[in-house]
Amino acid sequence: MLSKVPSASNLGLNTTSIDVEVNLADRGLPVFEIVGLPSKAVDESKERVRTAIKNSNIKFPDKRITVNLAPADIPKEGSFYDLPIAAGILAMTMQCELPGSSLFFGELSLDGTLRHTKGALLLALFARERGIKNIFVPKASANEATIIKGVNVYAIEDLNQLLAYFLGETKLVPAECRDVKDDEACSQAEFDMEEILGQEQAKRAMEISAGGGHNLFMTGSPGSGKTMLARALPGILPPLTEKESLEVTKVYSASGRIPPQGSLIKIRPVRAPHHTISAVGLIGGGTNPQPGEVSLAHRGVLFLDEFNEFPRSVLEALRQPMEDGYLTISRSRRRVDFPSRFILIASANPCPCGYLHHPAKTCICSRREIERYRKRVSGPMLDRIDLHIEVPVVDIKEFSDKQQTKLRETSAHIRTRVITARQAQTERFTGEGIHSNAEMKNKHIRKYCSLSKESRQMLLEAVRAFKLSARSYFKVIKVARTIADLDGSREITVSHLAEALQYRPKIQGGEI
Amino acid sequence: MSIWCEEYLLKGKKKANSVKKMKNLVRINSPEYPQLLKETKKPPDILYYKGEWDNTIFEKCLTVVGSRRMTKYGKEITERVVSEIAAAGITIVSGFMYGIDATAHKAALEGGGRTIAVMPCGIDVIHPEYQKDLYGEILENKGLIISEFESAHPPGIWTYPKRNKIMAGLSAATLVVEAGPKSGTLITAETAKMCKRRLFAVPGPLTSVLSQGTLQLIKEGADMVISAQEVIGAYDLKSHETSLSPASGRKSSDPARFSDLSVLERSIIKQLQREPMDIDALSRIAGVSSSRMGTTLSLMQIKGLLYKEEAKYYVK
Repeated sequence: MLSKVPSASNLGLNTTSIDVEVNLADRGLPVFEIVGLPSKAVDESKERVRTAIKNSNIKFPDKRITVNLAPADIPKEGSFYDLPIAAGILAMTMQCELPGSSLFFGELSLDGTLRHTKGALLLALFARERGIKNIFVPKASANEATIIKGVNVYAIEDLNQLLAYFLGETKLVPAECRDVKDDEACSQAEFDMEEILGQEQAKRAMEISAGGGHNLFMTGSPGSGKTMLARALPGILPPLTEKESLEVTKVYSASGRIPPQGSLIKIRPVRAPHHTISAVGLIGGGTNPQPGEVSLAHRGVLFLDEFNEFPRSVLEALRQPMEDGYLTISRSRRRVDFPSRFILIASANPCPCGYLHHPAKTCICSRREIERYRKRVSGPMLDRIDLHIEVPVVDIKEFSDKQQTKLRETSAHIRTRVITARQAQTERFTGEGIHSNAEMKNKHIRKYCSLSKESRQMLLEAVRAFKLSARSYFKVIKVARTIADLDGSREITVSHLAEALQYRPKIQGGEI
Repeated sequence: MSIWCEEYLLKGKKKANSVKKMKNLVRINSPEYPQLLKETKKPPDILYYKGEWDNTIFEKCLTVVGSRRMTKYGKEITERVVSEIAAAGITIVSGFMYGIDATAHKAALEGGGRTIAVMPCGIDVIHPEYQKDLYGEILENKGLIISEFESAHPPGIWTYPKRNKIMAGLSAATLVVEAGPKSGTLITAETAKMCKRRLFAVPGPLTSVLSQGTLQLIKEGADMVISAQEVIGAYDLKSHETSLSPASGRKSSDPARFSDLSVLERSIIKQLQREPMDIDALSRIAGVSSSRMGTTLSLMQIKGLLYKEEAKYYVK
């Protein structure tokens, strides 16, 4: 007696179809065996399935049970084979038909209920792609799967419910998509821009960064407000578009970071890993490749505080995903692609002790220490950052009067400008395969950033005055494009370019 | 006499023999040995040198000392004062360290004068190494590199005070530009005092740590330097340049440079002439957005009116 239960396995963001074949043999000792390169978690599925079936007051067959996970040469991992195996056994013992065009997916608890299982969204996507009508997933994971329209998602609570459905005793209704209540993204930021005293230039740089997706590098003494600024950034980021939302949710679903009953992620993620992170932690990897921080920050912000303290090898590994917007994790048996389009916000002290050029405190670092500290970030790495700013120490006494408070803008106010700028970019880049000004390559710059004669003249003078490299030259134009977008201007004017020059990188190895 | 002592003496003799054969050294009994240094307590027996030994270089020497962590102010003053003094024909003696020392050497070369670098290490060592361009320039411009340590002797904590003694001893006067409290610079100044040499100090703002040493020296009787003239005057020489004007500098008082400026630009210049500021402070005072201030400052930088250092803007 053989029953075939279709399921699917996720590898990175890709899903492959897996057939779970369950055979009950009348002859032989009552043994339960799983073949098809199961990992430890899959092998232990035997005990979970056996106990769960018994605890659901269903008779467990005293027969020789052989489960084959086909194709048999791919290593199987994860706990989601519980449900297809159990479904196969139930169908055999109860002599009932399995519904056609369906996928089964989920982890069993010993009491017969189903647990939240990672990757339900990817399964639903796969089902739609392959034209499979129904998917059976645990109730806790059903909500994320319902994001995908056109697939009937059956939310299963326990084995008894499933069996009753198989026997035709009850009917199941496909789950409806329930939106998880989202607060406005503004309230997600820890600080409002309005709360930050002074730092006008830094706030403006944040706005440009959000407006065009540019990476930002801040240097400043401890206590100048670098971290606070970075934490306020989510409040001025534009909301995720539907497509972006799905991309983000996929990564989070694959790594099991969507909470039970969770749905589409609508807030841009902000990741702030500590500087002791390993390269695999940042980039992703492992034998069963998991997304790293760069992928979890996809379409959001990756904030690296104490940038110079990160191991150089870790920072260098960051370069390729920053450039390409995706990364490939290659292991001997698997290759997995993860997206990694994020805004990098890096912050660093000017020297190891942090008080170089501090108005009140004295720096105790020797010149050699400072040089060594700065050299920890390579030139090519800094080259990938469009905006460079110095964050000065703020004297709180200066801000006692209320007039200053009036001048400060709220995050919501800044956000409206950012949204307008992003809309302009979306229109501009339709069909180009890019989304923001920061992603522009030289051909895009030539196409979309035409400069007037006057602007060109000014920029050439600036190249001379500031000794700009060719790369910096294009960077200034890109940033100027964003400033013009924030201004609602189609043309890049002289003043846009002049402001963009403020954020140019400092010359490496300049005066300390 | 113990065996240890004998060995030590033997070693000393061997060393003396090898020294005899070496060139590029001056002994204390030689007539070429700098007279002023000889007058000090326990002058070094042997001076190693690089460059062309010409005794006229020691005739009118000024030692310039200051902090390694000089401020923008210290740098500017050293550049202005020292180049003028060097131009008047006074040899600038300093210690080849980064900071005020290196700035003084450079300023002396800029002024077309000669300069002597006294090294804290063996004569064959360039320390700090990244200043080897400066090392070469000093020699090219008839300057001298001097040390009391031979060949590849490494610099150490104890070699610096010895170097400081030579520096103070070589010159008739010592100029202190910036010095923190309890700094090596102050030790040099103290040595100069002990040798009964004249001491000059540049005043600085009370708020700066690096002014504490110099202000203390002035309080204790060092001559306050307001212009290069005072120093040059001490050497009975006439300078061919007039003294430097106060803080605003010579160029910025030129009215032609600031014609046809906008109101905002004019007010920026006015603010910066009084005190260098960062962009946030400027935009707050002018009451304009950071974006507009950034635009204006960039354009002014391109025009060559301003320059930026350490996040602050200065009038050129």
